[in-house]
Amino acid sequence: MGEQKVITTTCKSCHGGCGVRVTVEDDAIVHIEGNPDTLTRGTMCSKGLSSIQHIDNPYRLKYPIKQVGKKGEGKWERISWDEALDTIEEKIKTAQKEFGPESLAVSQGTGRGYNRYIHRFARSAGTANVISPGYVCHSPRLGLYGLVTGYGRLYCDYHGWGGEFPKTQIMWAKQLEISSADSEMCNWFIQSLDYCKNLIIIDPRATAYSTRASLWLQPRPGSDCALAMGMMNVIFNEELWDKEFVDDWTFGFDELKERCAPFTPEKTEEITWVPKEKIIEAARMFAIDTPGCIQVGSSLERQANCGHTLRAITNLMGLCGNIEAPGSMVSWVLPDTGLIEDFFLELPITDEMRSKIIGIDKYKMGAARTCNPDTMVKAILSGDAPIKVWLSVGGQQIVHMANTNEVVAAIEKVDFMVHVDLFMGPMAEAADIVLPAAHWLELNDVYDMHPRFMIEAHNKVIDPPGEAQSDAWIFNEIGKRIAPEHWFDSEEEMLDYQVRKGMDGKMKWKDFSERLVSGCWGDDQVYYKYKTDYWRKGGGFPTPTGKFEFYSKHLESLGYDPLPVFREPGESPYRTPELYKEYPLVTSSGCRYPFYFLAQYRNIPWLRSFMEYPITQINPVDAEKYGIEDGDWIWIESPRGRIRQRARVYPGMKEGVIMTTGNWFYPEEPAKGYHGVYISNPNVLTSNNHLDPMYGSPDLTCFLTKVYKCKPEELTEDVFNTDEFGFVSAAGSDVEIRKR
Amino acid sequence: MKWGMVIDLAKCMRCHGCVAACRIEHFLPFSIAWVKLIAYEVEDKNVVDVTTYAVRCNQCKEAPCIDVCPTEATHRRDDGIVDINSDLCIGCRYCVIACPYQNRTFLSKDKLVNYFPNHAKTRFEKMREKKYPHQIGTTEKCNFCAERIDEGLPKGLKPGQDRAATPACVNTCQARALTFGDLDDPNSEVSKLIVERKATQLHADYGTDPSVYYVDGKIGGKSNIAPEDARTGSHIKEFSSVEKRAKEIFSQSK
Ligand code: SF4
Ligand code: SF4
Ligand code: SF4
Repeated sequence: MGEQKVITTTCKSCHGGCGVRVTVEDDAIVHIEGNPDTLTRGTMCSKGLSSIQHIDNPYRLKYPIKQVGKKGEGKWERISWDEALDTIEEKIKTAQKEFGPESLAVSQGTGRGYNRYIHRFARSAGTANVISPGYVCHSPRLGLYGLVTGYGRLYCDYHGWGGEFPKTQIMWAKQLEISSADSEMCNWFIQSLDYCKNLIIIDPRATAYSTRASLWLQPRPGSDCALAMGMMNVIFNEELWDKEFVDDWTFGFDELKERCAPFTPEKTEEITWVPKEKIIEAARMFAIDTPGCIQVGSSLERQANCGHTLRAITNLMGLCGNIEAPGSMVSWVLPDTGLIEDFFLELPITDEMRSKIIGIDKYKMGAARTCNPDTMVKAILSGDAPIKVWLSVGGQQIVHMANTNEVVAAIEKVDFMVHVDLFMGPMAEAADIVLPAAHWLELNDVYDMHPRFMIEAHNKVIDPPGEAQSDAWIFNEIGKRIAPEHWFDSEEEMLDYQVRKGMDGKMKWKDFSERLVSGCWGDDQVYYKYKTDYWRKGGGFPTPTGKFEFYSKHLESLGYDPLPVFREPGESPYRTPELYKEYPLVTSSGCRYPFYFLAQYRNIPWLRSFMEYPITQINPVDAEKYGIEDGDWIWIESPRGRIRQRARVYPGMKEGVIMTTGNWFYPEEPAKGYHGVYISNPNVLTSNNHLDPMYGSPDLTCFLTKVYKCKPEELTEDVFNTDEFGFVSAAGSDVEIRKR
Repeated sequence: MKWGMVIDLAKCMRCHGCVAACRIEHFLPFSIAWVKLIAYEVEDKNVVDVTTYAVRCNQCKEAPCIDVCPTEATHRRDDGIVDINSDLCIGCRYCVIACPYQNRTFLSKDKLVNYFPNHAKTRFEKMREKKYPHQIGTTEKCNFCAERIDEGLPKGLKPGQDRAATPACVNTCQARALTFGDLDDPNSEVSKLIVERKATQLHADYGTDPSVYYVDGKIGGKSNIAPEDARTGSHIKEFSSVEKRAKEIFSQSK
């Protein structure tokens, strides 16, 4: 037997956080499993485990390359890191000089944990034109929680540290059980169900737990704000609110009550397509069986009324006193290492930078620290955007943004683009230079858990392939060339700096790496912070009024409605009834699947084997109406275009609604056509014309389509005819579907 | 000692973690899966039933696959595990046909394709030869991670409780839907679950008496009061030396 070593680290195949134990023998990983000595108790999902097929994946990028043909043509040539970095430096500096610092845009995806590097880099280079998927995932909830409670990070208390678990839990447009750790770890949530009285699932389609939950509400996508207001209406009418909390700690109760008055159960049923009995029952459960919590899904943030929807949901939490009590929504005390975001927050956005943010004049909540990506696309197309150089990391804006045609046209117009990634993909093909990035098993870094009560270490297990480098290294190198005063001599020094507050200011990266985690939990956590001096001397919330604000004067001052308002999506049965006649299906651009993380992993054979092609879930009644059978390839069409997916006739889907599979491109398709991004990706169908007034979020999960069967001769692309990845022949062996 | 498994249908969320963990544990060739998920999605009288059956070899107590094997390659171990001695297997595939659950796979040459068919083997695949060779022309199936049990027992470890002696799928399940243990011990977790939650077997009517059991139920209806160890976080600290250290660091700095 060769030499064996076991290395502990932290998974980052989704938003990350599961503790991992890896066995290495003769420089090869021979085993991966969960690390039992962590908060995830040694459990891991298929994504993290299949990392074994990331390592040595022949499609990995190993060297910097430059585009030698036209964008999207796929003609590349290997270059050295020096050449790559020199070119990037020169392009950025020239653009800064000729067009101002705001001509540099920096974009990110949701994955590998580079957030703080890209923000620090952008700020150090004098631009706040950061393109982040935050506005359709997580930022709106943080912003709205922040507005209402003064502190942005409210999380569900699944831990019992305060003596109680949530008695009533709501999963709202969210499947936390399979989307770990997009917010919090699924493992914690599922364990907490052992101490739960009521589980309410709000989702237009049946999820893994809806069959066995206490209550399952199937709203029409895009109507969730009305549902929350309808639930509050019941609570007001039946006087179920938490009197003590409301009297002592809230602001704007009467105004909220009045605002919710029109949302009677009957009216709410009409809007949301949820039977009124269920609305009443859900409201009663949540208000009576406290403490309770609401886990919000990012589908709600992919809607053009997301600001108000989240505001209404946050108000519902407060109305029932489900704030800061054990088993409710809590903002956690940080570990001794402090807030890791300080790494970029310490470089403020200057007024000058802020004034140049694209979209700031309109989307005052969403475009305060980052630009509004959809506005940017339009501005580039009309020639009004200052963007000359675009530094893109990880994310696939071409895939996840609304209206693929416009996004591609805009990106092709950018003078110079760099993309950093593990594999070629649509964004890489649109770039001029592509830099090879390391996988989480190949790097050292600090992992920052969403709920912020702990941080963990990514410890390097094996070397990256070829000349691939960690994101931290890449940003430090570019940073040093553009704004040396804000960057570090070495990667390790930068890591030391990030954990320096730990151990009474003595902590170094090496200590942290060995400890693996720094956290605050158990009896160290503090509840009811508003009753102490924690936020405010004498108690209270860190809001302007010191109260939990049902009514927001701050929003009012920005020109928004201070109370929640329900607005129909840009395209809906009620806002655009004419369009609805032609496109009669309310459509969502996707839900989570446990083995994919957004646009990632279609090139990981084990994961692709679980779902070879994207599916669209459709109710049997609708399927019959449109002549569709299970497994058929169908066209899904909106006014913007049409895509093909495979029909999955699913009784768990709400009638009149379909759920497509989102973020889909085919890595095996050629570069031309951006790896098949037009074949199946639902954003070909979505619109970027109607955006949330606060956050600028488009309607990605509520728009209108029609469906019809696809003819066999229309399946011409490679992906239908090749087994390059071995998927076609081998897939489908693991999931069998049984129907009666 | 008779090993058995109980699967909680109310917890399994179809994450495929068990499938992946098994593939890693046994260095499985690409198109082989010893654990499969059967998605059951049916509407009956306005009730939508969405259930996932994670299926693997049931280690049947009356196993037709043993009866039909002409060479005794398939045999029952003393601990109840139905195992295959691939040196004796002649590839007749009688067992593949005899297993009423379709839990056996014949490893034909074309199934041993590389993970990336038109490319070289990955390092992990190369290690397969050394760590867990698969013989073309023989039959394969789940073996309840017998290797882990065999390595753990002499060290005094308890399968189902100590990870090192527990099947990989059980360890990785984020939902804690899988429970493993000794069916002969009335106090084992599995035995208790079988009695208390009225476990069922897949197709009991086949008369094979599987050692894999399924329980079901509603979510909720429980008390939300946290036990003492949850409050103090000692339920975390107990199994976590790392967290203990982290806590020390934290309390130092307070
Ligand atoms: S849930 Fe996320 S962090 Fe955990 S193993 Fe899966 S991919 Fe990794
Ligand atoms: S790992 Fe657990 S939850 Fe996931 S599919 Fe397997 S049994 Fe179900
Ligand atoms: S499930 Fe099939 S292979 Fe397993 S013991 Fe029973 S009959 Fe044999």
